[in-house]
Amino acid sequence: MKMIKSIRTWILDTGRVLRHELSLMVHDAGLLLFFVALPLMYPVVYTLIYNPEVVTKVPVCVVDDSRTPESRKLVRDASATRAFGLYGYSANMAEARELWKEQKVYAILHIPADFAKKPRRGEQGHATIYCDMSLLLRYRALVATMTDLQLALAQDITRERVETLGADASMASVPVRSQANFLGDSSQGFASFVIPGIVILILQQSLMLGAGLLGGTSRERRRAHGGIDPQEVQGVSPFATVWGKSLAYALFYIPAAIYVMHFIPWMFDLPRLGHPVDYLLFIFPMLLAAGFLGQCMVVFLPEREYVFPVIVFTSVVFLFLSGLTWPRYAIEPVWYVLGNLVPATWGVEGFIRINSNGATIAQNAVPYVALWIQVVMYSVLSALVYVWLKRRADSTAGIKA
Amino acid sequence: MDIGFIASLRRQLGRMCRMPVYIVMTAIVPLLCAWFFLSLLGPALPLRTPAAVIDLDHSALSRQVTRALGASELVDIRYKLESNHAALELIRSGKIFGYFTIPENFERETIDGNAPMLEYYTNMTYFVPGTLAFKGFKTVSVVAAGGVVTAKLSALGLTADQISALVQPVVIDTHGIGNPWTNYNYYLTPSFLYALIALLVMIMTAFSITIEIKHGTSVEWLATARGHIGVAILGKLLPQTVIFTLVAFAIEALMVSYSHFPMNGSLAWMLVALALFVLASQAFATLIACVLPNPRLSMSVISLVGVLTFSFAGFSFPVEQMYGAIGIFSYLVPVRYLFLIYVNTGLNGFEIYYVRYCYAALLAFLYLPWLAAWKLKRACLRPVYVP
Repeated sequence: MKMIKSIRTWILDTGRVLRHELSLMVHDAGLLLFFVALPLMYPVVYTLIYNPEVVTKVPVCVVDDSRTPESRKLVRDASATRAFGLYGYSANMAEARELWKEQKVYAILHIPADFAKKPRRGEQGHATIYCDMSLLLRYRALVATMTDLQLALAQDITRERVETLGADASMASVPVRSQANFLGDSSQGFASFVIPGIVILILQQSLMLGAGLLGGTSRERRRAHGGIDPQEVQGVSPFATVWGKSLAYALFYIPAAIYVMHFIPWMFDLPRLGHPVDYLLFIFPMLLAAGFLGQCMVVFLPEREYVFPVIVFTSVVFLFLSGLTWPRYAIEPVWYVLGNLVPATWGVEGFIRINSNGATIAQNAVPYVALWIQVVMYSVLSALVYVWLKRRADSTAGIKA
Repeated sequence: MDIGFIASLRRQLGRMCRMPVYIVMTAIVPLLCAWFFLSLLGPALPLRTPAAVIDLDHSALSRQVTRALGASELVDIRYKLESNHAALELIRSGKIFGYFTIPENFERETIDGNAPMLEYYTNMTYFVPGTLAFKGFKTVSVVAAGGVVTAKLSALGLTADQISALVQPVVIDTHGIGNPWTNYNYYLTPSFLYALIALLVMIMTAFSITIEIKHGTSVEWLATARGHIGVAILGKLLPQTVIFTLVAFAIEALMVSYSHFPMNGSLAWMLVALALFVLASQAFATLIACVLPNPRLSMSVISLVGVLTFSFAGFSFPVEQMYGAIGIFSYLVPVRYLFLIYVNTGLNGFEIYYVRYCYAALLAFLYLPWLAAWKLKRACLRPVYVP
């Protein structure tokens, strides 16, 4: 009986904290900026940056020493592709290099004098493309194009030549065909790949910033009022306090979560194969865990403005830990373990699979369970932080800045 | 003539010793982040992408293809499956990033000359593993085709030279200048570290200026500088300039000597660029703090710009491919110029002449704060704190 009663008290206390925290939130302009404006605007801005999706028409300059129908055909075929943008012809390599140094072109296609002669002699003809390596995307686009071009050219010439040798042309035709299929992000676009992960990171970071802001403000109030925060629900257990707050943040975030997970992919026509029930159920523990983690961070935040120096830069670190830019199986073990401790790592992983690969929540059991473990872990930790800060505020008069 | 510069400097140094946030955010965090980024991406490329093969033929030829897949350095065949369904299940639970299918009767159709189809699937939701698996699968499928042709032609009595000229009459060689290993690290890590330094410099600049207004100590701050806002700003920011510049030099040294990142241009000019870059970032943040002398607002704007910089400064997606209205923003932040200096001199080895305008742009940033300093002075004299 006693246990049921204490559970009832705990639930009622949590509800009181929740309600009070919500009213604090809507009266704090700074918080609303983090909790409303940030998740609303950031995904749109990010998608607009990456929305051109693929790299097209990389400016290339051609040095044609061969000046034959074959070399002109090569350039014509190349400029018909999506990646290759013909900037112009240069008389020699020195001139082309000058264009490259002035960053007018990002690659030089050199066709040597014997390009057409050699295949006629029965030897291999060579052309060379020199690529600027300052960005992987440009290089990748050009290499893929050139490889396809080489295969197509080779097929044409081979067929012709096998026939002149007197053999049946089908002898040298491709004996095995192959086909590439792209799953998830079938357009291979950059926005389609990066945005589903980024939006989850935005959810976590804005939530942590907001939770930190509220926590820092509470510490300021406590300092100003001799160890007591007058804006806090009194006589409630620490556990009920941290749960009430985290639930308030998570509930407040449900519209934002629906917006970034459902409407952003829809607005920009990004991959969206997931079922809303799957990804909304999936994201809830991440929101809770992020709220608890934000409350743990309060230990570093004696004033509300400290959230900027202390929390903002972590976005970049968390982005890399999440494995979005660099696969997690290839990072150093110590960072892999650290990544396991970040809610967004699992959030990004699970949401990408649900959203882009059409997975169900059951197929994401590992991230989902990991998120709930984090909820438990960080709720205990944030309760400890809360008790410790309160006790410290009682004993010291506060820090004089 | 004493203009209060020494007094302002001494005052700020005292504050920096009392408030731990300064030393943590100016020195410890950037160095920790450098360690993080430099140790995170261990190898040049994350080779051996987890993958699967579906062999429905079980013939000598199909096993040969499977062996070729196993020998590829780009994929790691972890599963041998019997159906597409099983493979998709593994994709969806993230165990593999791609799979390769060999159809039924593959060997017989090949010998008959019916050109059977090898299909491969790569999960492009993760860019790097997806691309690498694609590359590995493509190579194997092309080589498999070439192998069959070679076998047929040598049966006709042609020599190996004749065959290679027949099968590949034209070759287009690709050379990645300055980075033949296609090491992703070479520009990803430096550019992200530079942008991270910029973010920290800018936030700490705005923090140190506007916190005076919040605490109502701005009147005293200005009085220490004898009422000269310029002297007050210089006295306040100079200690951070020194620390951040030294930290940036240390990170550059780590990248060049410890991680062996290329430095094909002049290292001295790179260091000059870094020092200018720290100053330019401080100037940029000071301008925002002058226009918005409220700690929360100025730091919100700076965080917004600083975090977006990682995207619109064109480290991963080229600026010239972005929408014009978006791409133009990349030229409003100092880190874009440092990035151009790094890739063009450090990576490509160009002479300084070709990045002269980047140095000019970094210098131009230094004039920005003086446009709005009067506004900061007014706010300092009558500090109003809006939470």
